[in-house]
Amino acid sequence: MDHKADVIIELKQVNKFFGEHHVLKDINLSVKKGEVVVIIGPSGSGKSTLCRTINRLETIDGGEILIDGEEMPSEGKKLAEMRAKVGMVFQSFNLLAHRTILDNVTLAPIDVLHKPKKEAQAEAMQLLKRVGVDSQAAKVPAQLSGGQQQRVAIARALAMHPEVILFDEPTSALDPEMINEVLDVMTSLAKDGMTMLVVTHEMNFARRVANRVIFMEDGAILEENTPEAFFANPKTERAKAFLETVTVH
Amino acid sequence: MNTSQTSIRDILYEPPGVKTKRMIQVFTVLSFIAVMLLIYVAVRQFYITGQLDARYWYFFAKPTTWIFLGEGLAGTLEAAVVAGFISFGLAFLMMLGRINNIRAFQAIARALIEFTRGVPTLLLVYFFFLVVPQYGITLAPLWRISLPVAISASGIVAEVLRSGINAVPNGQREAAMSLGMKESHTFLKVVFPQAFRYVIPSLIAELVIVVKDTTFAYVVNFPDLMQNAKVLISNYNAMLPVYLVVAVIYIIINYLLNKASVYAASRTDSTTNTAAS
Repeated sequence: MDHKADVIIELKQVNKFFGEHHVLKDINLSVKKGEVVVIIGPSGSGKSTLCRTINRLETIDGGEILIDGEEMPSEGKKLAEMRAKVGMVFQSFNLLAHRTILDNVTLAPIDVLHKPKKEAQAEAMQLLKRVGVDSQAAKVPAQLSGGQQQRVAIARALAMHPEVILFDEPTSALDPEMINEVLDVMTSLAKDGMTMLVVTHEMNFARRVANRVIFMEDGAILEENTPEAFFANPKTERAKAFLETVTVH
Repeated sequence: MNTSQTSIRDILYEPPGVKTKRMIQVFTVLSFIAVMLLIYVAVRQFYITGQLDARYWYFFAKPTTWIFLGEGLAGTLEAAVVAGFISFGLAFLMMLGRINNIRAFQAIARALIEFTRGVPTLLLVYFFFLVVPQYGITLAPLWRISLPVAISASGIVAEVLRSGINAVPNGQREAAMSLGMKESHTFLKVVFPQAFRYVIPSLIAELVIVVKDTTFAYVVNFPDLMQNAKVLISNYNAMLPVYLVVAVIYIIINYLLNKASVYAASRTDSTTNTAAS
């Protein structure tokens, strides 16, 4: 990998332990502007943890994480500022339960970017429209379906104009009929050139949308390839075995 | 049976069968008879000892009696509200100390919580009444009662608030932080408002204790309901009637507070029951 200015996320020799358990092993990874990178792998392979270390929701025990060429600090104002550049969409949506949908989307632009309320709301409504839930703006999260909540979560991330969005298994908590409405939004984001790092079990999404697929197991990156090459011809036995288990159904 | 609502009873116990239903009926009748008997015995005893005599009750027909008791009630509510606010402020600080990462703050907060929970309210009342003036600090009667009552409740309120903080799903915090919100803003704008909603019923329950603790006002000569009751008693030499009436007033206040907490609990439930978990 070259160190050009268009690299947005760069991980160098990242290691992490949960007690004795070595959950991330010498991870090297870089994501360029406009790229869609999909991380797949069996449960417990460390892919979610990897995703969460990037905006430091998880600490690391070794290595470096650079966002836009700058090292992610471990705390303080600077960390908050850098997190604002990295959007995150969670498996469990994590919409703020006591706020309306509109407030969920405007909270950070007002609090962090100091946008005037009117402006933030106007933009939020546009974003909600873009993900197709603008009619729900006045409700609270509990009144929405999972698919709708996750689309709001995407709008909320977009409202901060992040340079990259991390998706941590965005469809794993959804009922089957709602998975596609979320994947469709993600696909259209990718088409618009959003840089995305996606941890998922949706192989079709990886096949269709990813520029690059990363296969993880036991806390290490085992393979990194274009989706065509990876799905047609996985190099490692473990990736082969994994693909057989997930593509049977 | 009410099907629209599931009570704790429905969750804990099987629906009663034929035999159990019979038993429930029998015990309902028996306990009703027992309660009636008790009331009869009590009233009869009052009658025998002359407590129902008109001379012990006539002054309740005078408006001035009720105005006087009303003033006492206002005093009680004033002391309770002031104590409630102070207690909440102290509790908030102790809670912050307790959830802080700094060990020293944790230790101090923990010690304060244990102290305030452990010391009897009356002891604190005496402290503010007898010891504090020794240092040349003279407090108005309202503060002499509100401060000790507030301090006495603050430790428990601090722990209630902390339990609320712990009940907020971690994802809420993570979501706010991942949007670039500072730790302090995340706490004040996202975590605490939710924690507060969770604990409103417990806070109201604590307010009931605060209301009851304000009865120590008689020690410091603050004109609360209890103090004014004592004045009535010495004027009319009618201890039992006055205490009975005052007890009923306290019961009504606290019943209303409990109603409010049940209402608050049901409201917070409906807005957060599926809180992104």
